[in-house]
Amino acid sequence: MTADADRALIGDTGPETGEPPTPPRFSLDMAARRQAAGTDAAVMFEVDDLNVHYGDFHAVFDVSLDIYERQITSFIGPSGCGKSTMLRCFNRMNDLIEGARVTGRLRYHGTDLYGPGVDPVEVRRRIGMVFQKPNPFPKSIHENIAFGPRITGFKGDVDGLIEDSLRRAALWDEVKDKLAESAYALSGGQQQRLCIARAIATNPDVVLMDEPCSALDPIATLRIEELMQELKETYTIIIVTHNMQQAARVSDRTAFFNVQLNERGQRMGRLVEYAPTGKLFTRPDQRATEDYITGRFG
Amino acid sequence: MTGSQYYGPLLGPEARSHFDEQLSLTRQGLIELGSLVTENLRLAGEAMQENRLDLIPEVRKADLAINERYYELERRTFEILARQQPVAGDLRFLVSATRIVYEQERSGDLAVNCVNMLERLSGFPDLPLLRSLLTQLVDASAHTFQMSVDALESMDPESGVRLDRADNEVDTLVSLFYAEIGKQAETMGLESAIALSRVGRYLERIADHAVNIGEHVTYVVTAEFPKPDHVTPSDRP
Repeated sequence: MTADADRALIGDTGPETGEPPTPPRFSLDMAARRQAAGTDAAVMFEVDDLNVHYGDFHAVFDVSLDIYERQITSFIGPSGCGKSTMLRCFNRMNDLIEGARVTGRLRYHGTDLYGPGVDPVEVRRRIGMVFQKPNPFPKSIHENIAFGPRITGFKGDVDGLIEDSLRRAALWDEVKDKLAESAYALSGGQQQRLCIARAIATNPDVVLMDEPCSALDPIATLRIEELMQELKETYTIIIVTHNMQQAARVSDRTAFFNVQLNERGQRMGRLVEYAPTGKLFTRPDQRATEDYITGRFG
Repeated sequence: MTGSQYYGPLLGPEARSHFDEQLSLTRQGLIELGSLVTENLRLAGEAMQENRLDLIPEVRKADLAINERYYELERRTFEILARQQPVAGDLRFLVSATRIVYEQERSGDLAVNCVNMLERLSGFPDLPLLRSLLTQLVDASAHTFQMSVDALESMDPESGVRLDRADNEVDTLVSLFYAEIGKQAETMGLESAIALSRVGRYLERIADHAVNIGEHVTYVVTAEFPKPDHVTPSDRP
């Protein structure tokens, strides 16, 4: 990690409570968890018994899973299964929703993301996000990339950063001669890659993607998928997708969420199965997973 | 052949480089597995030609490694099928790959069967003409199998036809070998005659598997199996 990335999630300017920052904690059974998951990759997020409520509505029920560094993890499942809600927990985007309540534990590099004194703005700098519809700022291509680093106090070579970010997002060659033009002049696929460039310009180590290709044509979709393979050399990626073939193609691990009725007859999202993608799509353990991925979901 | 011409995964478009890499690795895996089988077939041949009973455990051990590779390659191919939703040439290639690994693995087993016969007789009888034919048969069978590996390397659309011709030579040699066994049956005894006949049959089958591989290569490239006039009906894969 760079010195910049090392900046504490728990700022000195933090809570009024004056509680001491929580030291990073790694669970004792981390090695065992890795072994059980069949990977040598380091754990980046540990999720334990996570529940999300929107007011009275219990959106996500008791989810526990580990997200591994420099892997692509996909969340799949039918509408209302809680996968997008779950994704938004990883950078505290649910904080912005009135009445949303997250309980349980979600640790990032051992630090409880919902612990006292954690600065959500710093969380979102490190854990960037790309949304369903490309949403560039109504500014030039240049400004779209420069904006984030500038407000987070970047003092280095902005032009170099812009080129680097656009190259990483596989967009540089297409836009290098028109950086001053409006981002709206780009095609949908290019706009989405611009949003990816914008997300990585602030030097995050995680990129969350919420159905990043659902507004794109098949060719633009394949380009984003190829790009994801390159990005995972540097970043950890979590992607929510309605398109389970996409999850099969791009991800290292897949989590299947399903809708379940609680005792009051309300729908809530639940994690059914979480496995290496090759396993989940060739020999899933759960009948519900098999029914969903083979299109026999009732 | 124009519309369905398949240029092979190594020459694929760069739009899906990750997938193309998986296809290349699969093809590389088939070439390596085929080479291992050819090598073991030659080792089994050496054991039989020179009555080297000491080589028998080596042949068996190499076959275990071949089986491991076969399972791994087959598993990986199924995973690619499940994850990449291949179509057209990619689909033909991957489905053919699951067939080709089977043909290769079976050929490896037949090489072991050959040395099993050698072990049963504690060495083959020392009859010059018979030995000479056996040597030619082993060479022709191994050569034909090597051609199936070359076909995977070149992805030549003519592979099916070419392999079929090579197989005709093997079949001719097998007929001569059987005839010689018949002539010498009394000299060497019934047990030897039966064991050697089985060896002939195994070597013939190996060449048949090689033909099937060549035909699959033709199918992958052209979307059609070789025309029936080049292939005897029983050899259709």
